[in-house]
Order: sequence, then structure tokens, then C-alpha cells
Amino acid sequence: MSASDNDRISYLSGETVESLTPQERAELDELLRALEAPGMWVEPDPGLEDRVVAAIAAEVARAPGEEATGAPAEDAARAAAAQGRPVVPLAPVRPARARWRLRRPVFALGGLATAAAAIAVALVLALGGSSRAPLQFAMAVTGTPLAPGAHGSATLTKTESGWRIDLSARGLPHLQNGRYYQAWLKNPAGILVPVGTFNDALHVTLWSGAPVTQFRAFSVTVQQANGNPVSSGRRVLVGIAHQIR
Amino acid sequence: MQEGDLRARFRRGDPDAVRSVYRSHGRLVYAVAYRVLGNRDLAEEATQQTFVKAWRAAQSFAEDRELAPWLAAIARRVAIDIYRREALRAADPLESVAPGDPALVASPQSAEAIYDVWEVRQAVAQLPPDEQEVVRLQHLDGFTHTQIAEKLGVAVGTVKSRSFRAHKRLASLLGHLRE
Repeated sequence: MSASDNDRISYLSGETVESLTPQERAELDELLRALEAPGMWVEPDPGLEDRVVAAIAAEVARAPGEEATGAPAEDAARAAAAQGRPVVPLAPVRPARARWRLRRPVFALGGLATAAAAIAVALVLALGGSSRAPLQFAMAVTGTPLAPGAHGSATLTKTESGWRIDLSARGLPHLQNGRYYQAWLKNPAGILVPVGTFNDALHVTLWSGAPVTQFRAFSVTVQQANGNPVSSGRRVLVGIAHQIR
Repeated sequence: MQEGDLRARFRRGDPDAVRSVYRSHGRLVYAVAYRVLGNRDLAEEATQQTFVKAWRAAQSFAEDRELAPWLAAIARRVAIDIYRREALRAADPLESVAPGDPALVASPQSAEAIYDVWEVRQAVAQLPPDEQEVVRLQHLDGFTHTQIAEKLGVAVGTVKSRSFRAHKRLASLLGHLRE
């Protein structure tokens, strides 16, 4: 590494360096500006992955002729092992046009990946059913004529305590002063089960003791705290849950 | 799962494949959206819409194309649409609008600036955690080496050496060294 490279690194790490040319300084300042941008450091909410999966599952369920395979990871690992090929995730690729000359490290995938895949498959087979993912449903939720701009998605996951419903919806105003939202699940016979109340639907966790396998129709109504706990019938958000796992 | 298989399963909407594509590219999509919108909730909305649009368009996606720039381009378009929607919706008095509201942002970022975010973000992600922390405290939070040392409870010399090592790696990964 040349002395000039040491100067460049020192400049980047905050030292005062006099030897750099204005051109060199400008190049490095560009990188410093990128490092200072908040967008460089933000991380998406961990629940976003489930919401993305739920949104696509809902699209698949709506699209005629399309069908999700829903193959569990264990099945994929077994299939891959049976064919003697390693299980490798999709590698992120960099944009074709890049101003900075990013050198991509070259990984020796061959033996290492095969060995890792063999270990992963062995673990999956050894653990058997104990590693199976919980039953999960998902849905897109849309606004009714009472809330035409509302939209969002939800995942419904079976747990030991009941069904956890993670709802994320936009376009519903914040309710207060005795008004609130109430979520419901309904079965084909029309039986309604309340699953929780809230003021704002941006990120809500609801719980259902009724099985989502039977109670798949989801709705949200606007309620008034007036001593009458039945549904007001003023539905603002609806959706149908589909199994994704 | 080979990439070809993964793409085929993503087209079918297989949840495992969707998760795999999200895990490898979700941060990129989110970073692009955030770069345009400057708002976490809206960036999440844009990320969700981007993956749905990508799934809808996946049938026509050529096998030999790279996923990252394709997803980044969709993310940018989606984010700009949301940006315009939010800008149109901003009918509140100016003093009541938060400084970070997209309606107050001058214009969406260029595609070039967005790809820069991706390049640098990838490079930062390759740093060891202790070096990432120093770089973050130095550049995002604007702390001096002395302040970082106090915050982390280590010697200033340790912070300086971590910072030097981190920036050496970044400069090397991003082609800023002459060698």
C-alpha cells in the first residue's frame, strides 16, 4: 500500500491530511457523504418480511391459475440432498452500473457449500418434526366503502396460546374519545369471534382463540364504547386468510 | 436451492422462495425506498409494494438478468409514486408538517445516488460488528474519536485503530485505494 493510500484512509477516518489533491479529497468526500446519510443505516422492521410474504400470498390466492407450492424448507433440503446438490441461498448481486469499483470477493463455494449443505440436511433430518414451522395464514386487507383508501396485510400464526394476528394497515384514521376499532373473525356459518380492539391499525397484534383454519373471514368495525359489545356492522376493513405455511 | 429454481419458485409465489429473495434483497429495496422517501413507514410500504410488483412482473423477467438492479429500479419507481401521493396529500398548514415529511423533500433521489447507497451499504455490511459500530458513531452520529471511546468504554487508541481498519476495508471494497 502506498503512502498516498495511508493518507486516504486517514482522511476517511477523520484525521487531518494535507497531502491530498482537491480531486482526491472530492472523491473521498463523496464516500463520506454516503456514510453520513441516514438511509445508509436504517434497518427495516423485522416483521416486514412476514408482511411481504403475506402480501404475495394474498396476490397468489387472488390470481387465477397460479398456485403457491408452499414447500417447506425441510422438503427442499431433502430434495436437494437426494439430487446431490448443495442448498445455497440466492446470492445478492450488485448493480450492473456502479461508479465505485467494488471488488467482489470470490468464494470457493464448491466443497465448502456442499459440506455446509450436508450438515444442514443432516440436522433437518435429525430434528424431524421438532423444527417444523408453525401453521401460518396470511391475507391482504382492503377498505370497504366506509374507508375506501384503507389497505394492508396480516399474518395469522398458530401458537401454543392461540392464533397471533399481526395486522398492518394504512388509511384508517386514529380513533379516540370512546371510538375504537374492533377486529373479528367469522366462519362459514356466520359466527363472529372478537379478536381485539385498537385505536390505530399501523402495527397491531391481535389474538384469536378460535381456529383460523375455520374462521378465515377477517373484518374490522368501528365501535363506540357505549356498553353494547356487539358488532356495530360498520365494517371498514375486510380480508380472507389463506394458508401459506 | 439453485438460483434458477429459486426464481421459478418465486414466480409461483412459493413463500420459502419469497422469503429467500426478501432476505437477500430486502435491505437493498428498503434502502432505496428510504433514500427516496426519508420515512420509515413509507419505506416499508414501498418495500412491500415493490416485492408484490416484482412477483407480478416475474413472468417476464429474463433468466440472465440480475435481480438487484431490477428490484432497485422497481423500488425507486414505487417510492417515487408514494412520494408524489404523499406530496399531493399534504394540505396541512406548513408549520404542522414534520421536517422529515416527504412532502417537504425537494425531489426524489437520482438512480445514481440510489445505487451508491447500495454499494456503500454492502461494503459496510462486510465490516466486523465492532468496526461497523465505530463507523456508524463517527459518520451517522457525528462523534469524535474521543467521544466514541467514552461511549464504548475503550481507549482512544483502540477507536483510532478500529476506525483506520474499517476505513481501509471500505476504501478497498469501494475502489478508493490505488494499490
